[in-house]
Amino acid sequence: MASPEVHHLFHAPIADHSFSADRNTLAVTRANNVELYGKQGSQFRLQDELRGHDKLVTGVDIAPQSGRIVTCSQDRNAYVWEPSSTGEWKPTLVLLRINRAATCVRWCPNESKFAVGSGARIIAICYFEEENDWWVSKHLKKPLRSTVTSVTWHPNSVLLAAGSTDGHARVFSSFIKGADARPEPSAWGERLPFNTVCGEYLNGSAGWVHSVAFSPSGNALAFAAHDSSLTVVYPSAPEQPPSAVISISTQQLPFADLLWISESEIVCAGYDCEAFRFSGNEGGWQLTGSVEKANGGGKQGGQEHEESARNMFRAMDLRGRTGGNENTKLPTVHQNSINKIRAYAEAGGQVQKVSTAGVDGRVVVWNL
Amino acid sequence: MAEFNWRTLNIDALDPESSYNFDLATLTPAVQPVSTQDVQTLSGQIKQLMRAGQSEEALKGALENPPYGADEQGKNIHLSTVTEILQSIRQSEMTPILQRIYQSEGGSEVCDTLMKYIYKGMGQGGPAAAHSAGKNVTPQQTGFTQAGGRSFGGAEGGGQAMSVLLSWHEKLVEISGPGSIVRAMSDRRTV
Repeated sequence: MASPEVHHLFHAPIADHSFSADRNTLAVTRANNVELYGKQGSQFRLQDELRGHDKLVTGVDIAPQSGRIVTCSQDRNAYVWEPSSTGEWKPTLVLLRINRAATCVRWCPNESKFAVGSGARIIAICYFEEENDWWVSKHLKKPLRSTVTSVTWHPNSVLLAAGSTDGHARVFSSFIKGADARPEPSAWGERLPFNTVCGEYLNGSAGWVHSVAFSPSGNALAFAAHDSSLTVVYPSAPEQPPSAVISISTQQLPFADLLWISESEIVCAGYDCEAFRFSGNEGGWQLTGSVEKANGGGKQGGQEHEESARNMFRAMDLRGRTGGNENTKLPTVHQNSINKIRAYAEAGGQVQKVSTAGVDGRVVVWNL
Repeated sequence: MAEFNWRTLNIDALDPESSYNFDLATLTPAVQPVSTQDVQTLSGQIKQLMRAGQSEEALKGALENPPYGADEQGKNIHLSTVTEILQSIRQSEMTPILQRIYQSEGGSEVCDTLMKYIYKGMGQGGPAAAHSAGKNVTPQQTGFTQAGGRSFGGAEGGGQAMSVLLSWHEKLVEISGPGSIVRAMSDRRTV
């Protein structure tokens, strides 16, 4: 299999990244700004910078159809960026009305709304108000008891799932009267006024939830928690207990993000600096292997290994401890934990390439 | 007024909406309350198994029924039961026993529970240190932060108990990975 595309952009952590629909523009967070990279040949070159936030930017999302970029930051603000006629990006402030940092942001699939999670135990659902010509927000508050770590949309653009540091993954309705069409009834619920709690799930050890995601059909919800577990919930009917809740504890370090690549497969990545594949269904889930290995990982095996025996003895002699190079370089492509994982290319309902970004300032595109 | 240190003000206590004023117990997994009496009975049964030479069954029995809902005293009784079993098993038997436990039904969770007890056991220092020195000494008062809380094997037998726990820890991580360490830290159900 082809080896992964590695883009080492800078030496700073990337909290979030997003590709444009044509995959020619890459937006990454870098400290208080968002940098836009354009594709030139096989490389990404810095093209533009979105300046405006005055604290760490925690989330960025490019709407695939409209091309609008939404960013959120620890300065408690969110901006929607639109290209002006001169080619510059023009920010519009969103009225979030939160008193703690914004932690994550995602456009809903039909791009009329976006959700911002925050440390104020609030999720702000933001939509555009034509008459006043600005973005306003409605708050999802109950029953959140702690910081929201991630938000994700159901394909119907009304249901929203959120993971929180209180250990719960929850499914909410974010139905906005006048802005949304009435959604089809599903296993999650039939009547869905704003702030309906359609599901609230806790895993056995109540580790805080890092990431949540709906399956492509929206009929299952997966979440990864800080106890190194992956939990998949299959709802049965509205107001009924779910038909299956499958939780698997892994031997790995916790996963920071997860992505459904089909109805029966998930890719997770996190503090182990590499991505893992899981497969399963309502009957059970299991870890099937590392994405890194399938991509011909550990490529610096041969030569470096031969050298390392000599280095080891020399290091033992000189410094009284083992290890030379291998102490500073990880065998994985990412040299630090992975923060976000996104779909890069899909065909026939199956994701074929994913991109990961992490604390090491790398964005890597993997073949699955 | 000028002397008042605003940084020490707990603003969360003044906000009725704050999680500070909210009982967090409702967010944690529900645990059945267990009386100290029950823990003692269970401990007796397990010790009987151990005396009969069935260390593996004793270990499994102890780890499958951790008294999450017991009070501090009950938890300490169970901890000493588990430590006693761990000390009675020879080093060469550790890995085979752990492998069998890990592969059995629900074995991963049993291994996680063992990890919790190993960490708790190590946190206690030597058996003598658990009760006397260290517990009430705050770092600010003495300045000897490290020396106050731990008894580096100073209490006779403490060092040996620690080395048993350390070799169990090593063998356990080989089998259940760093994931079980993370779970021992993040689990709200404490032993």
